[in-house]
Amino acid sequence: MVATLAMLILGLPAAGAAALALFGWRWPRPLTKLVGPGVVWLAFLCVVYLFFGNANEDHTYWTWIRSGSFELPANLLVDHLSTFMGLVITGVGGLIVTYAVGYMSHESDASYARFFCYMDLFVFSMLVLVLAGNFVFLVIGWAMVGLSSYLLIGFYYWRPSAVLAARKAFVMNVIGDIGMILAAFAIFVSYHAMTYGGVFKALPKSDGGTVELIAFLLLVGAVAKSAQLPLHTWLPDAMEGPTPVSALIHAATMVTAGVYLVGRMHPIYDVATYAHDAVAIIGTLTALVAATIALVQTDIKRVLAYSTMSQIGYMFMAVGIGAYSAGFFHLLSHAFFKALLFMAAGNVIHAMDDEQDMRRYGGLWNRMRWTSVCFLVGSLALAGIIPFVGFWSKEAVLGDIFSRGDSLALAVWAIGFLTALLTGFYTGRMWWIAFWGKPAADTPVEHPHEAPAVMLVPVAILAVLSTVGGFIQINAGFHPGWKLVEDYLNPAVGKLGWEPRDLEYLPTAATVLLAAFTFFLAYRWYVSREWKPWSERLPWLQRLLEHKYYADEIYDRVFVRSMDAIAVDADRYVDQPLIDGTVMGVGAAAEAGAEGLSLTQTGYFRSYVLVFVAGAVVAAAVVLYRAVS
Amino acid sequence: MGSIDVAGGQLDAGAFLGLGAILFTLGTIGVLVRRNPIVILISIELMLNAVNLTLITFSRQLQDTQGQLFALMTMTVAAAEAVVGLAILVDIFRVRDVDDIDDLSELRG
Amino acid sequence: MIPQLVFWFFAAMAVLGGLGVILSREPIKSVLSLVIVMLALSVEFLLLSAQFVFAVQVIVYAGAVMVLFLFVVALLGPIKEGPARSLRFQWWLSIPVVAVFFGVIWAELGGIRYHQPAQGDDLNAFGSVQQIAQGLFTTFLFPFELTSVMLLVAAIGAIYLSRRTSDEEREV
Repeated sequence: MVATLAMLILGLPAAGAAALALFGWRWPRPLTKLVGPGVVWLAFLCVVYLFFGNANEDHTYWTWIRSGSFELPANLLVDHLSTFMGLVITGVGGLIVTYAVGYMSHESDASYARFFCYMDLFVFSMLVLVLAGNFVFLVIGWAMVGLSSYLLIGFYYWRPSAVLAARKAFVMNVIGDIGMILAAFAIFVSYHAMTYGGVFKALPKSDGGTVELIAFLLLVGAVAKSAQLPLHTWLPDAMEGPTPVSALIHAATMVTAGVYLVGRMHPIYDVATYAHDAVAIIGTLTALVAATIALVQTDIKRVLAYSTMSQIGYMFMAVGIGAYSAGFFHLLSHAFFKALLFMAAGNVIHAMDDEQDMRRYGGLWNRMRWTSVCFLVGSLALAGIIPFVGFWSKEAVLGDIFSRGDSLALAVWAIGFLTALLTGFYTGRMWWIAFWGKPAADTPVEHPHEAPAVMLVPVAILAVLSTVGGFIQINAGFHPGWKLVEDYLNPAVGKLGWEPRDLEYLPTAATVLLAAFTFFLAYRWYVSREWKPWSERLPWLQRLLEHKYYADEIYDRVFVRSMDAIAVDADRYVDQPLIDGTVMGVGAAAEAGAEGLSLTQTGYFRSYVLVFVAGAVVAAAVVLYRAVS
Repeated sequence: MGSIDVAGGQLDAGAFLGLGAILFTLGTIGVLVRRNPIVILISIELMLNAVNLTLITFSRQLQDTQGQLFALMTMTVAAAEAVVGLAILVDIFRVRDVDDIDDLSELRG
Repeated sequence: MIPQLVFWFFAAMAVLGGLGVILSREPIKSVLSLVIVMLALSVEFLLLSAQFVFAVQVIVYAGAVMVLFLFVVALLGPIKEGPARSLRFQWWLSIPVVAVFFGVIWAELGGIRYHQPAQGDDLNAFGSVQQIAQGLFTTFLFPFELTSVMLLVAAIGAIYLSRRTSDEEREV
């Protein structure tokens, strides 16, 4: 049963993508509207069934590679963690794909079908990634997700900026892929096993350098996929893709693959303590840096992009410290409110004639009430205000980190706390500038209309989930026992390694109140303009943040230009003379040979006969000689 | 062993073969050296005749009629080949007078 | 005694005829020399108990094929071969090749090991019309039929090749 359902879960989106690729460009649009989201929802139903059936099984379908003593089974691991991720992917993914039916309606039929084909392909790839039972399938899913991301970011392929962004994302993802593949190699060489079960059994209790190496290599993959420092520069550029793409891939699912990886590989990270600490450190730094950059962004999608980067930093912090359940809870809650925010922003962008600069919005509260309400819910969740889901998950993360108590944990906690304040501030800034006050002077559309139902309903559903969803996991003093996420993920990722202190009232209250305070602080700063904007006070800081700490420029100087130089030299000194030379040389040699041979074609009958007779003489001599001797 | 009984005496098969060899060689020289197309065709006929002689000789020596039958076939083929070759020659002569076969060398490359 | 004389006489005639073929300046003389060679060879055939082949050689080969050659030579008029303009070295190359060729054959002739004839001698019937007929119409029926087809094809080909196309002048 589980095996069949798992095949269906993978097969449905794959079939949808294939059908759309082969026929979608010429069948009627309503069929695309049905197939595109439909396969995702069907897969969701299968996952729900697995969820309630408490599936926990590693099923091998057939043996793929058999070579000497090594066997690689084609297996899928359906346990609580993969089911959990599956729910997020197909559930939130389903909502987003449904939303996209409305958002992408301006496209031509062929383009429309192409979009949903890519989306289904992405869903399929992501499911392969989380359902994989061995490292080979994991890498396959990992790479395919990168491909889908490339295809979707570059969807508007006639735009040079989109193409460049897609390429940038893909190249950085490939860097991560290399890390994953090298990790797989290292695992194979050290343990001669490729299935999760086999590898985890073979791990030593305490480390030699091998496990650290493997953990760091896997971390490279996670960092690239989740856009953490230093492989983060592709995420803001990825906003070139259509808004549903940003919602699905760059908020809810693909970028969380890194978190999933660390969680799934927790036996490795439990042994490789240095790498484990590195996960936390990277997450912490990214969370802080991304939050600071978000403070100065003017494009609404960019704010959300950096916010995503920051929140995933939180997830990395959690799994890096060892609080796996908290990290995944934050993954779930972030999926809810970030997808909500992106889709609501999409509604606004749609209504404002594709304008994405927040400064040209203003006063949407009065003109797009429903969307504004949903956006507010998402913003409050992002800022971590009670009772929204973001509060519960962020507190779970920060609380578990705080209660571990050692110096690294406390340092991480402190930066997380600071970042929460910054989060409140930039979120508030975003809300106040875009939705409050009077419409901007240069607003593109005088009377923006509210979004159609197909675009509002998914947003509303997520708003509801963002409001009530938090109550499934309360590290609570006042309602002990509601630790659904932790209990569910327990078989997969284990219990918390230390005694969690019950909700620490003081730090928690401090976080919430200060976050709310900064939210309103932003109002003072931006809308009522009571203080001088800091672009006047600290212009150098403004510039530094606007240029994203010059990361793109540094990478360009160090990596891109040197690669370009190498490529030019390779072309001039290797490709042209050697390779071209050889290939053309073969042709030239053939020509010369033919020209030489054509000299024998004199056209004279008598010379032909002479050669003929001479040959006959030789043949006769040979035959007779052999007959005689 | 190579002797053949002929009415009234004995002949050596080798002599016949030698005659055939000489005639064949003469034919080869004719094909190689002469430039008149008709003479070339004639020389080919000469070569065919020499081969016929060899065949008949061995047929007699081995007491096997197959050699003579083969020679008959060869004669037929020679006739057909002469017919077609001469027809082609006549066709060429309609266009221009060829006294030197080296003039027919357009098929060069 | 007599067979030797006959053989050597007609052998000499054949060789002289052959020399005449390749050495004559005018094509008509070459053709006539070839006729002499054929007649001489037909006598040699007779010496070798090939009566039927002897008759066919005279009637068909010398009598029909050579007549055809004569007609064509008469049709095409006298063709005089001038001195060679191209491939002047052909003589010098051909002689060694042919010499080697002849040398090989001559050397072989000395070393031939003859097989014993298969069955007993019935030389009266050997090479007779009956025996030839028996071979042609039983064992070699298929090649026999094929040769008749081939002759038909050759005839058709010759007719086609020498037909007059509309834009050609009548050749006298």
